[in-house]
Amino acid sequence: MPAVRAPAWLVTAASLALTAWLLAAGCGGRMATTSDASGREYFGSVRVPGDRVFRFNNAAEPEQLDPGLMSGQPDGRIARAIFEGLVVADPHTLAPLPGQAYRWDISPDGRRYVFHMRPGIRWTNGRPVTAGDFEWSWKRVLDPATGSRYAGILSVIENADSFNQKRADASQVGVRALDDSTLEVRLVSPAPYFLNLLTFYTCLPVPREVLARFGDRWTRPEHLVTNGPFVLASWKLRESMELVKNQTYWDQANVKVDRMIAYPVDDQTTSTNMYKAGVIDWQPSGNVPAPFLPFMRKYADFRVGRQQALYFYSINVTKKPLDNVWVRRALTHALDRATLCDKVLKGTRPPWGLFCPSGYVGYTPPQPVTYDPEEARRDLAKAGYPGGKGFPRIEILINTSEDHRRIAEAVQAMWRANLGIPVDVANQEWASYLEKTTQVKYDVARRSWIGDYPDPSTFLDIMRGGDGNNRTGWSNPEYNRLCAEARMEADPTRRMKLLSQAEAVLLDESPVIPVYHYVTMELVKPYVRGLYPTVLDYHPLKFVSIDPDWREHPEPAGSDSTLAAERQP
Amino acid sequence: MTGFITRRLLLLIPTLWIIATLTFFLVHAAPGGPFQSERDIPAAAKEALYKKYGLDRPLIVQYGRFLTHAAVLDFGPSYANPAKDVREILFESAKVSFELGGWALLLALLLGVPIGVWAATRQNSAGDFTAMSVALLGVSIPNFVLGPLLVLWLSLTLFWLPPALWTGPSSRVLPVLTLSAIYIAYLARLTRGGMLETLRQDYVRTARAKGLDERRVVFRHAFRLGILPVVSYLGPATARVVMGSVVVEQIFAIPGLGRHLVNGAFNRDYTLVLGVVLFYAGFLLIFNLLVDLAYAWLDPRVELA
Repeated sequence: MPAVRAPAWLVTAASLALTAWLLAAGCGGRMATTSDASGREYFGSVRVPGDRVFRFNNAAEPEQLDPGLMSGQPDGRIARAIFEGLVVADPHTLAPLPGQAYRWDISPDGRRYVFHMRPGIRWTNGRPVTAGDFEWSWKRVLDPATGSRYAGILSVIENADSFNQKRADASQVGVRALDDSTLEVRLVSPAPYFLNLLTFYTCLPVPREVLARFGDRWTRPEHLVTNGPFVLASWKLRESMELVKNQTYWDQANVKVDRMIAYPVDDQTTSTNMYKAGVIDWQPSGNVPAPFLPFMRKYADFRVGRQQALYFYSINVTKKPLDNVWVRRALTHALDRATLCDKVLKGTRPPWGLFCPSGYVGYTPPQPVTYDPEEARRDLAKAGYPGGKGFPRIEILINTSEDHRRIAEAVQAMWRANLGIPVDVANQEWASYLEKTTQVKYDVARRSWIGDYPDPSTFLDIMRGGDGNNRTGWSNPEYNRLCAEARMEADPTRRMKLLSQAEAVLLDESPVIPVYHYVTMELVKPYVRGLYPTVLDYHPLKFVSIDPDWREHPEPAGSDSTLAAERQP
Repeated sequence: MTGFITRRLLLLIPTLWIIATLTFFLVHAAPGGPFQSERDIPAAAKEALYKKYGLDRPLIVQYGRFLTHAAVLDFGPSYANPAKDVREILFESAKVSFELGGWALLLALLLGVPIGVWAATRQNSAGDFTAMSVALLGVSIPNFVLGPLLVLWLSLTLFWLPPALWTGPSSRVLPVLTLSAIYIAYLARLTRGGMLETLRQDYVRTARAKGLDERRVVFRHAFRLGILPVVSYLGPATARVVMGSVVVEQIFAIPGLGRHLVNGAFNRDYTLVLGVVLFYAGFLLIFNLLVDLAYAWLDPRVELA
């Protein structure tokens, strides 16, 4: 999933607001913060809203509510609240829990799954949800005529890619309803993360009769038919979305809020103001303006957690002199990520020297890349540019954002100072930047990647030769072989070892330079329960509740505000 | 008069056509396209989406299709929101922008014009200086400074008003104040200038010489001519203010028209950008026509030809 980008054009306004805010805070604007008896300080109002309602900023207007077609986090947040897949994710660990399927069997070779549908589940139009609904919905996603941007999520299913690329037909795809309550899925390889994939919004079922009747407009509130814990009551474009509890949902006894209101506010300052004033109870990660971050750490309701995402520099290996591996190693060794995170990012995000983020169970990463200016100069000399002599001017491509610019300028200074090479920074607005990176028309580009499921392959797979997300022109036979072998390996230990070897090759060849590890930074009112920081920054809203007596109850688990002290392993 | 209106309305067509053509080719010339993201789009998906929206056809064919549909105000669905038509999105946002702009304009007229008249009748007095200094301040402080300051004070310190959104009457206060501040100030200065000039005219002296009392001179005789600059300013200003303010909408998260243009352009949402530009252009042209008519009505010396 692409990283959420900051709407940067109002940075001026944001910084002015910040200045004003700091001034006022300095001049005794003390009502702005609240603290409880234990002396914990909260950011803004902590007054509990009177009724069983949960309000949050969805951060953008969802493009659409068709789970098979959507491709954004705001869309997904709503979709996963109003639809339910075969499995749902645990709100804390994201481990798969029974959803529309109440149990499943996995064959010993890990390549055949049989799901048993929960009896009595229904769509909001009264029709039972069947195994056939899932078969139809998934094949629709894979159908090349549908135009689903996330069809790749299902590519572990047999013949899924072939069907999507018009090399096979729908009947050959490895998903079949054996009867109304049994779904058989056959996989290309024993993907241990398959059940996690099923919590992705692309795998949610859709009611085919409603699509047939209303076409593209089936997701309008007046037509929409769903099967999840909430139903869409209203959708006012760019104003708000209102979700109310679905009384016919199988687990409705455990749904603890009656109403949820989602606002599509994309301006970070506005969103943070709304949180502070108590208009919203939850501000998801990525919405606190960057200049505020260092000041937010003292608040108990500012929750920080590791996110499975990486900020990195990507190198176009098809262009001279960057096709030379020694040049790339020199650039890698000359980048001082620790100083960068400390000075430029003020310690809000940890430096990271690996391509895969932290926290994969059973995965032992290779040696991280390190900052070593001496080594960097030796590398550059080996490439034939001793002291940077004769090295052509290279350009760092960024998309418009204050943070990207400051990081690029720091890297520019480091490369100039350590290697003596001429470096420029080129700023492009979003669509032009995407055009240049997708077509590999750049020298060095700032990029980021967010994992889709908790497994190293969600990162390593994108660097395989020819992958659409590779965008460096790099293709290494050894790397490709290791990834392919890992894919087919049934033994988890051996599989992880192969992946670790692949990552070692990647870091040594340096088509990408890791910079920092993303963290989630949310604002959650202390009376909100059932909402935890998760590595995929995904929050199953079914489990959310409001605790009016929060002051008497202990702090919810999963809050981690100590990350600032953490450093690279 | 009828001939004048007909001629001006007919002139709208070629003007709008030129604007439509320029915009169409400009948005298509921008690098990149819709449906892009940091994640790769499968070839099949891109093909299907392009086919669905007719983007796979030659540009000139797309242009022809766009023109014939635009003629009946059909811009097709927005790429960034396929469940809704651009027309529907425009009308929904226009309602909000018209309301916000309407209140702001009303406030500006109710405050700005009387302040201007009042200051003009007391030229160079302390009151005049105070009013005009405040007005100068109003003209100089940009709304992206004023808005956050009002939010900081009234929403985040005093907790009186919501800091954003467009729900309920209390949410109207801050955006209307922010948007109207510059218009209040500008109208006050404009009215004062216009009134000062008129008050020195011969016919005003004649009116005074007749022995009319000052209030009658100011309001019956001078006022009609004195506010002419205000009227000519109001035409384009009304169009601008009711078509939404990008900044105010951003600060207060208001679902108005202003941000469609910016967001549409960033997202390469061709249909939305074209719809907004044409809507805005048409509105501006019609407002200019209305101003000319108002001129003729206010000043008997103006002849429409």
